[in-house]
Amino acid sequence: MTFRVRTVFRALLRRPAVESQLEEEMRFHIDMETRKFVERGLLPEEARREALLAFGGIEKHKEASRDATGAPVIETLLQDVRYGVRGLKRNPVFAAAAVATLALGIGANAAIFSVVHGVFLQALPYGGGDGLVRLRQDAPGINVTDAPFSPVEIADYAARNRTLAGLAEYHSMWFVLLGKPEPERVQTGVVAANYFDVLGVKPLLGRTFRAGEDAAGAEPLLLLSYDYWMRSWGGDPGVVGRALRMNDRIHTVIGVLPPMPAYPDDNDVYMPVSACPFRGRPEASHDRSLRMVQVFARVRPGVSLAAARADLGRIGQGLAAQYPGSYPAKGNEFAVTAISLREELTRAARPTFLVLFGIVGLVLLLACANVANLTLARLLRRRRELALRSALGAGRLRIARQLVTESTLVALAGGALGLLFAAGGLRLLVAFAARFTPRAREIAIDGPVLLFALVVSLVTGIAFGLIPAVSARRSLTLALQEGGDRSTSGIARHRMRSALIVLQVAISFTLLIGAGLMIRSLWKLQSVDPGFRGGRVLTTRLDLNFTRYTDAAKRWAFEKQLLERLAEEPGVVTAAISGSFPLNETGPNSGRFEIEGRPAASDDLRPQAEFQRVSFDYFSTIGVPLLSGRVFTGADSPETPRVAVISRSLARRFWETKDPVGARISFDRGKSWIAIVGVAGDVRQYGLAAAPPDEIYVALPQFPTLSGSLLVRATGSPLALARLVRETVRSVDPDQPVDRFQTLDQARSNSLASPRLTATLLSLFAALALAVTSAGIAGVMAFTVGERTHEFGIRMALGAEPGSVLTLVLRQAMTLVAAGLALGFVGAHLLARLMSGLLFEINATDPPTFLAMSVVLVVVALTASFFPARRATSVDPMIALRSA
Amino acid sequence: MTPRTDLLQGTLDVLILKTLRAAPMHGWGISQRIQQLSEDVLQVNQGSLYPALYRLEAKGWIRSEWGASENNRRARFYELTRGGRKQLAEEQEGWERFAQAVSRVLAAG
Repeated sequence: MTFRVRTVFRALLRRPAVESQLEEEMRFHIDMETRKFVERGLLPEEARREALLAFGGIEKHKEASRDATGAPVIETLLQDVRYGVRGLKRNPVFAAAAVATLALGIGANAAIFSVVHGVFLQALPYGGGDGLVRLRQDAPGINVTDAPFSPVEIADYAARNRTLAGLAEYHSMWFVLLGKPEPERVQTGVVAANYFDVLGVKPLLGRTFRAGEDAAGAEPLLLLSYDYWMRSWGGDPGVVGRALRMNDRIHTVIGVLPPMPAYPDDNDVYMPVSACPFRGRPEASHDRSLRMVQVFARVRPGVSLAAARADLGRIGQGLAAQYPGSYPAKGNEFAVTAISLREELTRAARPTFLVLFGIVGLVLLLACANVANLTLARLLRRRRELALRSALGAGRLRIARQLVTESTLVALAGGALGLLFAAGGLRLLVAFAARFTPRAREIAIDGPVLLFALVVSLVTGIAFGLIPAVSARRSLTLALQEGGDRSTSGIARHRMRSALIVLQVAISFTLLIGAGLMIRSLWKLQSVDPGFRGGRVLTTRLDLNFTRYTDAAKRWAFEKQLLERLAEEPGVVTAAISGSFPLNETGPNSGRFEIEGRPAASDDLRPQAEFQRVSFDYFSTIGVPLLSGRVFTGADSPETPRVAVISRSLARRFWETKDPVGARISFDRGKSWIAIVGVAGDVRQYGLAAAPPDEIYVALPQFPTLSGSLLVRATGSPLALARLVRETVRSVDPDQPVDRFQTLDQARSNSLASPRLTATLLSLFAALALAVTSAGIAGVMAFTVGERTHEFGIRMALGAEPGSVLTLVLRQAMTLVAAGLALGFVGAHLLARLMSGLLFEINATDPPTFLAMSVVLVVVALTASFFPARRATSVDPMIALRSA
Repeated sequence: MTPRTDLLQGTLDVLILKTLRAAPMHGWGISQRIQQLSEDVLQVNQGSLYPALYRLEAKGWIRSEWGASENNRRARFYELTRGGRKQLAEEQEGWERFAQAVSRVLAAG
C-alpha cells in the first residue's frame, strides 16, 4: 500500500514530467511504427497515417495511462474543484441561491443536532456515568406518586441491596445567608457526605464532603455551586475557607463545584445533612414515616437496571411487611423502582426535539430538492458545454463526477455558512432547550456537531448532485445528436423537475401543517381562562428566615405589619401574601383532608387537595371571583375559629350541586374542624394546559407561612413598584431578602414560552419552505413557458384566446401542486401524529388547519405561477413562429 | 482495491510480463515482439499497451528507465521486477491450468 501511495504522490508531484514522458514515449512509438511502414515501401505521409491509425486516439490512451498510475483520482478531483469553482463564480446568482438554501437546511440540522448530541447522546456530565439512578416509590392505588424517602428507609436500602455501588440522600431547601451587604436567600442542597462521590463529581476548587462530615454534631460546611460562585462571589477563589453565617451558625466554605445541570434543583450551595436545621433533628433520623428526602444511587458495574429494580422491589416489600405501621395498607403498597438519571434529565425534552429533528430533516430534504432543481435548470443551459466536453472525450462517468464535485462544493459552502447560522443561534437554542432539560448548558457546536455537519454536507452534495448527473447521462447523447437548443432531451429532466416540485410542495405542506397545529394549539392555550386577572400584579418571593421567625405568632406579626404598610403606600391598590401564586414554578402543597360526617375507610383513602395559605386580600388582588359565601376578612384572626374557602371544582366533586358553605373539614383526622365559608373560582395553578386542581384556601393569620410570595396590585406599572416593595420589606425587617420580581402576566406568559418558541420555530421553517417552494414553482413554470413559446405561438395563431393559454399554464402548475398536496397529506398526518403530545386541545387531524394550509399553499403556488403564465399569453405568434 | 480485470486485459498483462522476461524493452518493441511471437495471431491494440504498462508499473511488477533505442533515440525501457517475475510465474501456471481444462472439456466432446 505504501508503495502505491508513494507512486500516487510521485505522479502528482511530477505531473508535468509524467505528461511530457507520456508524450515522448508515444511519439517514439509512432515514429518507430512509421519507420516500419516506410521500410515496407509506403510513402512517408502514408506511413505516418497508417501508424497513427494503428495507434488510435492518442489523448484517450494518455488519459487511460494517467488513470492507470492512480494519481488521476486526486488530480481530476482538483481539476474538477477548480473547474467547479470557476463555474460557480461565473454564475453567482445560482451559487448564492444554492448555498443559501443549503445553509438553511444544514444549519438547521446542525443546530438541532447540537441539542440532540449535547442533551441526549453524550455521556452524563457526572463521573458516575449511565449507572446513575434516582429511586422512587409510588402507590398508584391511593394516588401517591413519587413519594420521598425517610432517612431510616435509606439506611435499610443501603444495608440490604445487592445491586447498588452507593446510595446518597438529597433534599433541597432555601436558607438566608448573611455576611454580605445584602441578605441572600440561597437554595441549598442538603446531602449525605457521599453524595458527590456517588454522582462522581470532582470539585473545581477545594474539596467535597468527607465521610463522617454529615454525622450529628459535625461542623457545618458549605460547597458553592459554580453558577452561584460566579454570580454572587464573582468567581473569587478566596471564598474557600471563608466562614458564612446561616441559620444562626457559622458555616465554612470548603470548595466550589464545577458547572453541573441544575438538577434536581437549581441549588446555590450544598451542605451536609447534619447542618440542616430540619434534617439534623434527631427524629428525622429515627422516624420511618418522616419522608422528606430523595435518593440517588449508582448501579454496580455489570448489573442491569432491571436487576437493580427487582432488587429494590424486593427490599421494599420486605420493609412493608416488617413495618406495617409505616407503610400504606396491603393492596396499596409502595412500588419501589429506579429511574436512570439520563432518562430523568432528558424525558421532558424528548418529544419536542424529536419533532424538531424530524422537521429540520424535512427542511434539508426540501433544500436538496430545490438545489437539485436549480442545478437541473442550470444544466439545461449548460448542455452544449457538456455535450462539447463529451465530444472531446470526457466519459460519462467523468461528467457525472464533475457534476457531483460541483454540488459537493456548493453543499460544503452551504454547510460552512449553515454552521455560522447554527453558532449564531446557539444562545437562543440553549435558552429554548433549558425550558425542557437541565442539560441545556452542555449544548455546544463541538467536534461531533462539526463532523455531523460535514457528513450531512457531503451526503447532501452527493445526493443532489447525483440527480442531475443521472438525468444528464441519459440525455447527453440525445443532446449531442440534436445539437440544438430546442431538443426533446429536456423531457426526462423536465419530469425530474416536476417530481422535485411535487416533493417540495409536499414538504412545505407538511411543515405548514406542523406550524399551523402548533399555532392553533398556542391560541387555544392563550385563550384559556386561567381563573385570575393578572394585569398590574407584581409578585416577589418572600421567604422568612426561620431562625428569626420561630413561631406562628412572629410570622404573622411580620406579615401583618408588611401588608399594612404596603396598603398605605400610594400606587398600591391591594397587597396580599400567599404560599404560592398561579403558574409559578413552585405550586401549592398537596395534602389529605376529611369531611365532617364522611369518614374515610383508611387514612390513605382520605380525599386530596392542594392547600394555599392566603391573606384576606388575595382573591381581590389577583382577581379570583367569589362564587358563594365570603372570602377571608380582617376579622379572621388567630383568635377566631379557623375558616376555609374551597375551589369550585372541589365543591362540585364533594357537594355536587349543594352549597358547601357551612360544612366542616379537618386536616388532623378530626382533632380540629375548619368551617368552609366560601367557594372561589377555579385557578389553573400548574400551567394553562393542566386542569385546575381542587383547592382549599386557608387564612394566613391562622396558618402563617414561612415561605411564600408577596402579591401587589398596582395602580400603574407593577414593576415600577419593585423598589418601594423592597424598601417596605426592609423597613419591617432589614435582614429579610426579597427577590425574583415579576408580574403575574409575565409568569403567565412565561408558562407559555416553550409552546410559543416551538410554534415560532415551526412557523419560521414553514415560511422559509413556502418561500423556497414558490420560487421553485415560479422557476419551473418560467422554464416550461420558455420551452413552449413555439407551441403557444401556434395556438394563438390558430385563434386561442390569451385566457385559455393562461389556464393551460396554470392548470399545469396546479397539477403539480395537487400531486404535492396529496403526498403532503400523508406526510402531514405522520408529523401531526408525532406532534400530538405537544398539542393542547387540538386534534392532530384538525380539519380547519388542513383546510387553511391547503388554501395558503394553492394561493401561493397560483401567485408564483401567474407571472410566467402571463408571459405565455403575451407571446407574439409571428415572432414565436419565425424564431422556430 | 484491485481494478476489475477482464480476460483481455489480464491476457495482455501476462503477455507483457512474458515478453519482458527475456530482456528489458521499450513499448513499441513489446508490441512488435508479441505480434511476432504469436505469429501475427494476436494483434495488440498499440494504444492500449501504454495504459497496461503504466498499470503494471503502478503495481510494482515492472519498472522503467530512459535509455537509448537501437536507432539511438531516447526511449523508455521496461524491465521485470522481482515481484513481476513471481506474478508471471503465477499467471503462467494459472493460464496453463485454464487452457488444459478448456482443451480437456473440448476433447471430451
